[in-house]
Amino acid sequence: MRLVTCDMIYLYAITDHSEESVPAEPGLEGTSLFSLTYQDIAAVVSPLATSTVSPTDDNLWRHEAIVEALMADRTVLPVRFGTVLADEAAVKAVLTTHYANFVADLERVRGRVELGLRVLWNDDAPPPQPSPASRGGSGRAYLLARLEEERQRQAQRQRAEALADEIHSPLAQMAVESTRQVLITPRLLLTAAYLVEREQVAAFRREVEALSAAYPELRFLCTGPWPAYNFVTPAMMFDV
Amino acid sequence: MTELVSKEKEVTLLDLLDRILDKGVILFGDVTISVADVDLIYLGLKVLLTSIEKAEKMRRATAAQYSTWNVKRET
Repeated sequence: MRLVTCDMIYLYAITDHSEESVPAEPGLEGTSLFSLTYQDIAAVVSPLATSTVSPTDDNLWRHEAIVEALMADRTVLPVRFGTVLADEAAVKAVLTTHYANFVADLERVRGRVELGLRVLWNDDAPPPQPSPASRGGSGRAYLLARLEEERQRQAQRQRAEALADEIHSPLAQMAVESTRQVLITPRLLLTAAYLVEREQVAAFRREVEALSAAYPELRFLCTGPWPAYNFVTPAMMFDV
Repeated sequence: MTELVSKEKEVTLLDLLDRILDKGVILFGDVTISVADVDLIYLGLKVLLTSIEKAEKMRRATAAQYSTWNVKRET
């Protein structure tokens, strides 16, 4: 019979670095990082005495700092915060099970970083509500008011899509891959992520600045470079 | 990113949360972090804790699954 070990394993990233070297960054809870290898890939982990990690500012940035430190000398697939496995064997099982997918994703993000963009607009006023008079009036007046409301909503949606396209298209052309969401909230015109070659980052930022100057009524918020969080296939979506 | 942390700290934190809690290699069931109706504001820890509680439940379920595999592999 096997004794249950106290420590669980916290997982930060999957990398293409099969050597066991890790950055001199402290892990969560002041633990030491180490790597578990399988063929030519490795999981960067640290032991964890508890099974829970609190999502405090410090912990979130620690996780991120480790992933970014790894990016300095290897290709990295960032793992979602709070991923804790039972033991080393469980980590090896993950590497073995998803090996082909991890290798494919590592290839996809090699030499590239992610940039985030949010664009805010002011065209977020809700369409006028039917007035109390029309409500109290005939059914026809009420329905006409509702119809007008719906037309305005659709017109706003179309304005948003068109404007988002104008901004997103030139940026998407500079990226290898991109994601784009329009009006996640009424003020958030565009939320996008771009997978960009490392050496293209400066040019990409200049393009964002040019767009920002061309659309003074919009507010542009560009962040990064990030690890390629948006361009990694979640392992749970793979067939096991 | 360092230069941005000072300038746009809250935006950067939101972008970090958006990524680190919801994207990347996800080994356990999906957790929806509700950012849909909190427009570029600091996500309160309460929202996070609720999500993490959900994540924890799924994590336990999956950790148990992986442990079971190991037992099977070793016997």
